[in-house]
Amino acid sequence: MPAPLPDRLDFRTLFDALLREPQALVERLAQPGHRATGRFVLLAIVSFLLFGVVLGCFAKYEQLWAAPLKITAGLLVAGAICFPSLFIFATLAGSKMSAGQLAACLAGALALAGLLLLGFAPAAWIFAESTDSFGFMGMLGIGAWLIAVLFGLRFLKAAARAAGATQRSPLFIWSAVFLLVTLQMTTSLRPILGRSERLLTQEKKFFLQHWGEQLGQQLKPANAHSTSGFSR
Amino acid sequence: MLLLPLLRPDAAWLERADSKRIARTALTATVSLAAYGFSVGFWRSPLMGGYVAVKMPLLIACTLGCNGLLNGLLGLLLGTGLGFRQSWLALLTAFAQAALILGSLAPVTFFLAWNAPSPDSQQAHTAHSAYLVVHTLLIGFAGVVSNVHLHRLLADRAPSRMAANATLCAWLAGNGFLGTQFSWILRPFFGSPGQEVAFLRPDRMKGNFYQAVWRCLDRVSGGNPELAATLLGLAIAILCLPLLLNLTPKRTSHESH
Repeated sequence: MPAPLPDRLDFRTLFDALLREPQALVERLAQPGHRATGRFVLLAIVSFLLFGVVLGCFAKYEQLWAAPLKITAGLLVAGAICFPSLFIFATLAGSKMSAGQLAACLAGALALAGLLLLGFAPAAWIFAESTDSFGFMGMLGIGAWLIAVLFGLRFLKAAARAAGATQRSPLFIWSAVFLLVTLQMTTSLRPILGRSERLLTQEKKFFLQHWGEQLGQQLKPANAHSTSGFSR
Repeated sequence: MLLLPLLRPDAAWLERADSKRIARTALTATVSLAAYGFSVGFWRSPLMGGYVAVKMPLLIACTLGCNGLLNGLLGLLLGTGLGFRQSWLALLTAFAQAALILGSLAPVTFFLAWNAPSPDSQQAHTAHSAYLVVHTLLIGFAGVVSNVHLHRLLADRAPSRMAANATLCAWLAGNGFLGTQFSWILRPFFGSPGQEVAFLRPDRMKGNFYQAVWRCLDRVSGGNPELAATLLGLAIAILCLPLLLNLTPKRTSHESH
């Protein structure tokens, strides 16, 4: 039986609890007045922004601000659009969590994934500065995200089980859906790694097709781009 | 005496992960790696020896520094029960063990460098190749031994063997991936006979190790890098066999009956 967390959940307590005492955190989130959701969202936003800056260092210029914004917005939107299905699927799995409690857990999962991305950030920066290959940098970014989100989803699963969930398959399916949505975001919000005349593209494409096309491509030197529009 | 507990750390070693212990371990690793590094670079020139004496400890410091947060997070999330400082000390201990092994061999490798044909001789390229093979084997041996010890240290602390295995594999993957790239950035270490002695190459931040390996495999295999990569993977798996065997729980006598 985990020791209960203190009434006041500041950033340090939440950080420690996410990493060391997820069970105790879930139980505390079941009680009112935890105010953890906002703090988790803030933690996630800051982490995603910093990781985005690191990925933006690959192409530099406008991507130094565009990549962090796109990554943060993309992941928050993915969380928001997947939340209704999470509530339904968690309930189907047997969880007795309220919508508020589940929102706090999802925010916690995103914050945890964000912290792990921060852990990957120095390594990603080293490679962003030394390679021109979209394929390599893309795989590195996606690999870091997959590992980070795996731990986030593990936290979410532990939370659902602590709240009474007994069936695995609904949450497994939801995890796959969430993963697909976040991976599609890499294509919907493109370019994130490379440079373009436009901030966003209107062309619809499935992420596997987009990745396949970009795998062998190299980042062009800055002077090879047009000096007008978004490239500036 | 720091060397004995460092070479044979017990379960209590990580309990006191204070600044003094971390500093002493780091100092031991630095001095040992500097000694070994000097012997590595000495064959090319004494100046190169000086450069490598600085770069070898720098390589470890960069790898552990950049991956510090990630190693700490993984140590916690994979259930070893180690905090950030303890994770750091555990990894530093493993690097220090490898450094001590290599440092203890530094007089031998210095002797080897002293007796090898000089870099401006006709046999320079053969000597360089032999030199590379010897040092790669020594570094590989030190790495395997230190990781076996690291696994024992983790297994003593972690609540389950599974947690220790997962943490070791995650640390190995993360540090190996980044450490290899740092060794690429910080090259030259051995100093090719035809190239000038330099602290760093002018194109140090151009390309990365993995792309270079892929290009080499592409060339060597005549355009079939997948096959070459598979063969390379098999060779690495065979080299890692001692470590994999150590990860597998041994059957005790009462289990076998």
